[in-house]
Amino acid sequence: MTRSLAGALLANITGAALLLSAAFAQTSEEQTDTNDEAATAAPTIPSQAGLDAWEAAYKVFSHPRCVNCHTADEYPRWSGPSYGEARVHGMNVQRGPAGFGMAGMQCITCHGNENSAKLHGPPGNDVWHLAPVEMAWWEKSSAEICEQIKDPERNGGRTLEEVATHIRDDGLVLWGWDPGPGREPAPGSAQETYALIVKWAAEGAPCPLP
Amino acid sequence: MQLTVNGNSLDIDAEPDMPLLWALRDIANIRGPKFGCGIAMCGACTVLVNGQPRRSCSLPIGDVDGEVTTVEGLADGDTLHAVQQAWIAEQVPQCGYCQSGQIMSAVALLEEVDNPSDEDIDNAMAGNLCRCGTYTQIRAAIKRAAGSKAGA
Repeated sequence: MTRSLAGALLANITGAALLLSAAFAQTSEEQTDTNDEAATAAPTIPSQAGLDAWEAAYKVFSHPRCVNCHTADEYPRWSGPSYGEARVHGMNVQRGPAGFGMAGMQCITCHGNENSAKLHGPPGNDVWHLAPVEMAWWEKSSAEICEQIKDPERNGGRTLEEVATHIRDDGLVLWGWDPGPGREPAPGSAQETYALIVKWAAEGAPCPLP
Repeated sequence: MQLTVNGNSLDIDAEPDMPLLWALRDIANIRGPKFGCGIAMCGACTVLVNGQPRRSCSLPIGDVDGEVTTVEGLADGDTLHAVQQAWIAEQVPQCGYCQSGQIMSAVALLEEVDNPSDEDIDNAMAGNLCRCGTYTQIRAAIKRAAGSKAGA
């Protein structure tokens, strides 16, 4: 049994134990009903195929082309193989009230509709902006991002199917695989990542332990 | 290709991937915007497109989607723009190379924020570098221009 599978199994067993503990605190009538449910609900083993699909997708979600603009603070990041240590975006660039930059210096001041052809020139896309704070992934673990992706409050109000199609079809997401000269693209392709999310969702969208 | 620059319609005979700065300086002979870094890192080439500051060294003319304003287009006849007047009053420039970009960013800031704080100025102007270090004069000039606009 792999470590991740064992961990996820432990998580499910722990969940079942908590369910039983909560049932003991209830009234006798409720206790009887809940114990009946608990007795019939055996702990489920998360799909290893689902966990594997997630881990492959996580390599995309956690890649610099994605996380650099999925930050929890006001600043995008510069990082990746050509940048050495990760650093805050230069020029005091900030998120601004809507994620498109500050008055007098919005993202579009430098980031046009397409990538600069010059090394270290500004990358571009039709719409360039930071992800909302609740969708921050910067320096978050696989387990943390996995739970975020399943939470409509933190994934842009999307179902898992909509998450998959967003990855496949959104222009700014697609930029991650076509980032311009000198930048490492996100792993795989948009289509492959779409397929990973579809697979992960079909397998019950299991998440690794924190 | 047609570009509208400072209210004039210009016929630019160039490929659509030519940077706007090249078209302005080398074809239209509009030399206010300067070449600094060529990768949108210094701000010397800043112009306005539909009122928003853009780094013209990294903006292909095929992607210009509105009216372009350079420092040459700010004055109203013989009357300089409030920011230009403030720049003179505060004696901002030293070598002057970055100043047209600085002025264009300042104009854009004041269009959005009537009375900018130091923080507002830092947030808007940090992408315009000045090797002479005229930042304190720039800040003073922006505040002076804000005051003159308020009194206009």
